[in-house]
Amino acid sequence: MIELRNAGKTYQQGSREVRALRDVSFVINKGEFLSIMGPSGSGKSTLLNLMGGLDQPTSGEVFIDSRPLHGITDNELTLIRRRRVGYIFQFFNLLPLLTAEENVGLPLLLDGLPFSEVKPRAAALLDKVGLKERAEHRPEQLSGGEMQRVAIARALITGPAVILADEPTGNLDSHTSEEIFLLLKSLNDQGQTIVMVTHDPKAAAYGSRIITLKDGAPDQDIVIGGDNP
Amino acid sequence: MSIKYAILGILAEGNLHGYDLKSSFDEKVGEFWSLNYGQIYSTLDRLEKDGFVTHDREAQEKRPDRKIFRITPEGRQELTQWLATPVTRIRALRDEFFIKLVFMVKSDPAPVLALIDKQKTLHLKQMNRLTQRKLAMKNGGAGNGALVSELLIDAGLFHAEADIRWLTLCEAKIKAAIVQEK
Repeated sequence: MIELRNAGKTYQQGSREVRALRDVSFVINKGEFLSIMGPSGSGKSTLLNLMGGLDQPTSGEVFIDSRPLHGITDNELTLIRRRRVGYIFQFFNLLPLLTAEENVGLPLLLDGLPFSEVKPRAAALLDKVGLKERAEHRPEQLSGGEMQRVAIARALITGPAVILADEPTGNLDSHTSEEIFLLLKSLNDQGQTIVMVTHDPKAAAYGSRIITLKDGAPDQDIVIGGDNP
Repeated sequence: MSIKYAILGILAEGNLHGYDLKSSFDEKVGEFWSLNYGQIYSTLDRLEKDGFVTHDREAQEKRPDRKIFRITPEGRQELTQWLATPVTRIRALRDEFFIKLVFMVKSDPAPVLALIDKQKTLHLKQMNRLTQRKLAMKNGGAGNGALVSELLIDAGLFHAEADIRWLTLCEAKIKAAIVQEK
């Protein structure tokens, strides 16, 4: 599904070299719900960005569905990113001028599909995340939990191979967070592969596997549940 | 001791004999608290002496009579009062782990760091199990009993989370101390 082979990332900060990630190798299988944990600055977000093709490793290789993310054109990478990966961010990253339905449909609209075709699919996904009545609302008219549900629907619309979530409830209260995790868990139960960066052990407890990072390198790879492949 | 109140709470819902009382106890709080029959019967004895519980004898074929325990009005009053009193004592650091930590830090930090890793993994596995139970319950029945059980599970999850955060801090501080000594 997703494979990293000795992936590393080094940044140039002025004259200083910063090794954000070093020599990371692991495989994420289809249907897994994996959490990535580790202290601040341990490279969690960098790792997530490499997995989704948002960023390129400076050494090693990344594969999605056995397809390499290196040695391809920027256009090809953009297409993989848009079609095979669904992102969920801490601050939702919805476009403020678009309605919930338009935000959900955006990845398909960017792909050139007509709105008439996108609209019913976006509406069905909003229904799935429990926001049928909010289709015409703009982000500012939605609560934090509702905005994250819209973002989840948007992440799903291309039928991605994997959903990558970066602290998806970092900005939400405990009860709203739980509702978001229940939603992610139900998607995972339906076969959706999910990789989530989190500080919250309660969040990680919804998944079945945890990889911890320390100083840019994998520290532990723990299976905590037996319900997933 | 709150074993006493847990037993009063269970008997307040209906009369039970010792075996069923233990099953009910395990079902309600077994995830956090395990009791053996000895503890249950000795607590029942004490509750009877205090007048909070009494029992009736039920005849059985070819076996000794069994005792069906019942809460008394005094017992109900005691329970009601306890339920209304806020908890002032913070959770005592009586965990076996804490004792191990106390004895291990001084000598060699490597085993304690390994122990912290193991302890965190264990907590995470427990949290996964608790979460699975919560999910099963959410998909099952509603009602006040289910809500209370869910809230108890949440309490367990928050405690485990606090423990994990504390263990992570221990790890960081122990490591920082090693670096400083070098």
